[in-house]
Amino acid sequence: MLIMKPGISIYFISYLLISIVSDPLFSQDKTIISPYISLQYFKNSDDHRYLQTTLTYSLNRMEIPLSGTEISFYSGPAGKDLLGTALTNEKGIAAFDLSESISLTKNSDGLWVFSSDFAGNDTIETVRSEISIRDVKLEMILSQVDTIRTISLKAFTSRNSKEIPVSEEVIMIYIPRMFSLLPVGEAYLDENGTASLEFPSDLPGDSEGNLTIISKFEEHPAFGNVEVKVVKNWGLPASNSAPVAHRALWTKTAPRWMIITLSVLLTGVWGHYLFAIISLIRIKRESKKQKKP
Amino acid sequence: MEANRKLLRDLTPELEKTSTGWYITFIVLLVFFLVGIYALVQQIDKGHIVTGMRDNVVWGFYIVNFIFFMGLSYSGALISGVLHLFNTGWRRPVIRLAELITVISLVIGPFFIFFCIGRLDRLYFLFTHPRIQSPITWDVIAISTDLIGCFIYLYLSFIEDFAILRDYEDLNVAPWKRKLYKILSLGYNGTPIQARLLSRARTIMSSMIIAIAIIVYSVLAWIFGVTLQPGWHSTIFGPYFVIAAVFSGTGLLIILMWVFRKVYRLEEYITKRHFVNVGVLLTIIAAFYGYFTFSDYLTKWYGSIKMDSILIDKLFSEYYALFIFANYIGILIPGIIIALPRFRTIPNITIAAVIAVLALWVNRYIIVIPTLETPFLPIQDVRDAWIKYSPTWIEWSLTLAGVSIFIMLFMLISKIAPIISISEMQEKDKEEILK
Repeated sequence: MLIMKPGISIYFISYLLISIVSDPLFSQDKTIISPYISLQYFKNSDDHRYLQTTLTYSLNRMEIPLSGTEISFYSGPAGKDLLGTALTNEKGIAAFDLSESISLTKNSDGLWVFSSDFAGNDTIETVRSEISIRDVKLEMILSQVDTIRTISLKAFTSRNSKEIPVSEEVIMIYIPRMFSLLPVGEAYLDENGTASLEFPSDLPGDSEGNLTIISKFEEHPAFGNVEVKVVKNWGLPASNSAPVAHRALWTKTAPRWMIITLSVLLTGVWGHYLFAIISLIRIKRESKKQKKP
Repeated sequence: MEANRKLLRDLTPELEKTSTGWYITFIVLLVFFLVGIYALVQQIDKGHIVTGMRDNVVWGFYIVNFIFFMGLSYSGALISGVLHLFNTGWRRPVIRLAELITVISLVIGPFFIFFCIGRLDRLYFLFTHPRIQSPITWDVIAISTDLIGCFIYLYLSFIEDFAILRDYEDLNVAPWKRKLYKILSLGYNGTPIQARLLSRARTIMSSMIIAIAIIVYSVLAWIFGVTLQPGWHSTIFGPYFVIAAVFSGTGLLIILMWVFRKVYRLEEYITKRHFVNVGVLLTIIAAFYGYFTFSDYLTKWYGSIKMDSILIDKLFSEYYALFIFANYIGILIPGIIIALPRFRTIPNITIAAVIAVLALWVNRYIIVIPTLETPFLPIQDVRDAWIKYSPTWIEWSLTLAGVSIFIMLFMLISKIAPIISISEMQEKDKEEILK
């Protein structure tokens, strides 16, 4: 039988008592966050592809991003082959570049299956999102006959090196402005996977009249976000310089009324000052006159 | 020009000899001033990070002090100008004090702008690249014009006194002072032509100084008024600032009357009548000031523009105590004290004036700071200390240095010139003899 020394046994019993009592007293009520995850597929004009995951949670009806968390990206027929990982930024977004060196395998339906997950930790629950993408090719041709400017669009998928037209889908046309994209129209694809749209002729472009025209599938359930972008001299040349003679609050030359008001005020005030100073000079002269016998 | 000997001795108590009390007071104030200089050196060395000013609140104590001192200055000009122009009988003992408040405050006030500017080395851009459209340019033009005008006006009021001091042979002062009186008196002998010239110049300048004071303080108010900030963008700010300035200046005038009366034993010259008259003026101005304040906040509250509502909520929560002090206690208490004849004693009127001056300073604080803490585009994900303003010891020190130098300049002037106009008081004697 193990016999403990009295000193050690007192320490041991005290430790046990403190451990038992302190646990319910000092343990904090941990709140586990249930996050939302969304996975999106993007394909740009130059066939550059990437996956983007957004990780957020809801607090007081506000969407709060979860930054600095590690997101794992997967692909493969079942969407379980690890592609890599990325950390979310301050907006809760993590992006993974699908460079050409990565070989993607399609499933039996000819789709790419992608998934992303957050493995979870003590305070945030595990969460996973999955999408299936059919690779689509979007083409945009710009033509002009007389003054009519037309955008022709063609969208198709490939199977066994054969083009299959994408029909009955909507493609949005935008031009970028200072803060966001300005929608200039939407085109509806016919059974041949083609659509055309007349482009407005009164949009301001840059100083040379260049406009960036973007056509895109937006958050399409099968194609994801696919866009094609072309720069064309179809805008009105913008001139930011004000006429030389223009006078305003923000121009180099002040409005006339301001100059006149200020001049009148200053002339009036300084005129009176001058009168007072002349009076002082005359007082001085007067004293000199008195001194002369 | 000859003066009544007793009058001269009474009104120039520090001219011939300097009392121990004067030295002690001056040294204490000098210590405060030097602490302020040390704080300024720290600020120049380490930058504005040593102040409480940050990205949101870029105007702190310095701008509050600037507006406060400029307000005192314009009110001094207005009071002295009006009293002189309307030839008010009881003005004589107080008019010089009002004139001195004008000039001294006007000299001190702009220094607080310099403390607030981050890149003082670029200050000359204001003169080399002025834009008439900029309210800052208006302010530079206005303040410099006002400063010169006030100096001319003050000098005009001093000429007769300098002539009296020059001609007073028994005056036991240093030779340089005698020489100074001789130069500054411009050979004034009180001949009819000289008296007419001086009187006309003073009348012209007193009316001019009233107009300039109103315009210049309105310009200062427009710096706020033309800014699209909650609480500032108001058409009423021009007259509101002018009335507020006169309110604080009248309060300060009463305080200085009490101080000089006590220190230099001027009970014979500054009587209860003067306190009551200036006190009644303070009450009337308090009523106007209260009306403007109510009008300003009522229209903002009723308009219910989102940011204005947030600002008013802030004033009635975070700034509740300051708001109540500035806009209720600071207006009602002075008014009640002076309006009820039984409370109308010299100490009570002075206490009312102290409350008014302090309330006005706080009023400036709650105009500047809470608005800057309520921007239209708030900075997100930033620590609270960067949004909320809290003055540091640097700003407190420079504020106290400003107050110290204000009193020190008064003390220094009392060593050179009378703090109550001798010529004005002699005129009074003549009038009474004629009566």
